[in-house]
Amino acid sequence: MSAEYSRTQLMAVVLARSFRDGEVVVMGAVPALPLAACRLARTLHAPNLSYVLGGSGAVNPTPETLPLSCCDPAVATAPCTLPVAEVVLLAARGGAFDVFCAGGIQIDAYGNCNLSAIGDWDGPRLRGPGSVGLPFMPMFRRTVLYTMSHNPRTFVERVDFVSGAGHPSSPAAERGYRQEGPSLVISPLATMDFDPVTRRMRLATVHPGISVEDVRKATGFELFVPSSVPTTPEPNNVELTELRRLDPSGVLWHDY
Amino acid sequence: MVLTTFCSAEEALELALPGSAVAVGGMHMTSAPMSLVREVVRQRIPIQRLITSPSSSLQADLLIGVGLVEEVVTPYIGFEHLGLAPCFRRAVEDERLSLLECDEAGLTHALYAGAGGLPFVGCPNGIELTDIPRVCPELYREVDDPFTGERRWVVRALRADIALLACREADEQGNVALGRFPFTDRLMALGARRVIAQVERRVSSEEMAAHPPGTTLPGFLISTVVVAPGGCYPTAAPGDYERDEDEIRAYLQAAQRPDNLEAYVSRTIRSVPEPAYLDAVATRLQPAPTPATP
Repeated sequence: MSAEYSRTQLMAVVLARSFRDGEVVVMGAVPALPLAACRLARTLHAPNLSYVLGGSGAVNPTPETLPLSCCDPAVATAPCTLPVAEVVLLAARGGAFDVFCAGGIQIDAYGNCNLSAIGDWDGPRLRGPGSVGLPFMPMFRRTVLYTMSHNPRTFVERVDFVSGAGHPSSPAAERGYRQEGPSLVISPLATMDFDPVTRRMRLATVHPGISVEDVRKATGFELFVPSSVPTTPEPNNVELTELRRLDPSGVLWHDY
Repeated sequence: MVLTTFCSAEEALELALPGSAVAVGGMHMTSAPMSLVREVVRQRIPIQRLITSPSSSLQADLLIGVGLVEEVVTPYIGFEHLGLAPCFRRAVEDERLSLLECDEAGLTHALYAGAGGLPFVGCPNGIELTDIPRVCPELYREVDDPFTGERRWVVRALRADIALLACREADEQGNVALGRFPFTDRLMALGARRVIAQVERRVSSEEMAAHPPGTTLPGFLISTVVVAPGGCYPTAAPGDYERDEDEIRAYLQAAQRPDNLEAYVSRTIRSVPEPAYLDAVATRLQPAPTPATP
């Protein structure tokens, strides 16, 4: 890995590139990475992108430094704010929001996410914070999953508790309203997508300096590996300059 | 019609009945009614059911940590980048706390139903693909949709006996302004049998009128106003002051162990009356960016 950028910055650039002009992106707690990605995309290729911070409901905030909390007073200066009850309405009806940036303490082979409990729900080994808005995952046109920890405890064959649903594991589990579902997974090691037939996660790219074997070992399920796995394109100078401009305090330098 | 009383946090909570359902406002580490929460801790008022906002932090974790909460209704208690909620986590893992697992939409709709006299509300799509409703039959039930015949999850109305909220301002009539982020505090206030609001300052009715419609609540819904400048500390009050992350970290450090938490609570809360607490933190408040409108 080049010393010129951090893994978190690389992840933010990958996420930014995945956004299309005109999309509406929603993010939850700890918004620094997706917020940076949205602002980067708006500057570079998606000037009509909108983004909503769950919790505060702040729309398109441009705080001087990247906030660590989605309810940080710095996002109160956003030009528009939706009360959380209205964010809930829009997320649930479908069609208003396009992309959900989500994650979990467990993510499984089908993209199901768990933020609630590891082990039995009743008397868990680890109690997580709770599911919050993850049940909305199937209501978005697509969901991007990101996590700062790529290890066999996070990437599991089957989550212990479904907080938000990923792809159906069988045609019988299909629901008419579901859209693209999880389409991209971004970790500190790699990017992954989902096989259109099996609906299971597959390796898409490995980050510079990471091998396919590294990713396989860090994944707790049988990760499908195509015959050719390219390296994640590195951030270019334009992207890095812009990232540094909108993150003057260097939040994304740390793997928070 | 409720006549608003202005009083101290101590007096406000003396009227709270032990064993009530209590809703506590604020989202994440912002606008938590900490003056009121600290007073609950000092007076050791047992809470039969604690209802949090869709994302709660210190206001819930502290009450759970000192053992005052029998049952909690929450979609999230955590500290974002600072980590998990230590007391909530320990209490659930040790099976000492009854947890009504719910999601953000379910809770919001339940509060709306409670505010409007609706018995229950149909849940949006997506919930049936999760494990949430199945582990919480107290709040979620499956019914036949009378219009389509499809099976659907519904969520039951939630009302609090008392809502503890942090607002920005109150005027002499007890009208309060919620500030930039209404969160679910508004719904909690509309549904609660009694609302206790802590405010940063008391203003004139003329100043109150400068707040845009939809950001204020009428005095006839507010039972008690406690003027508590800095009262959200160590959480943030948008437009007034930032959260004090060092103080929140100090709490999280202490809360890793029950005995350390007890010492921390005794030293920083129980041995300090609320007015003295607020005097002491006044110099530590870091001004927050101010939006263009109130």
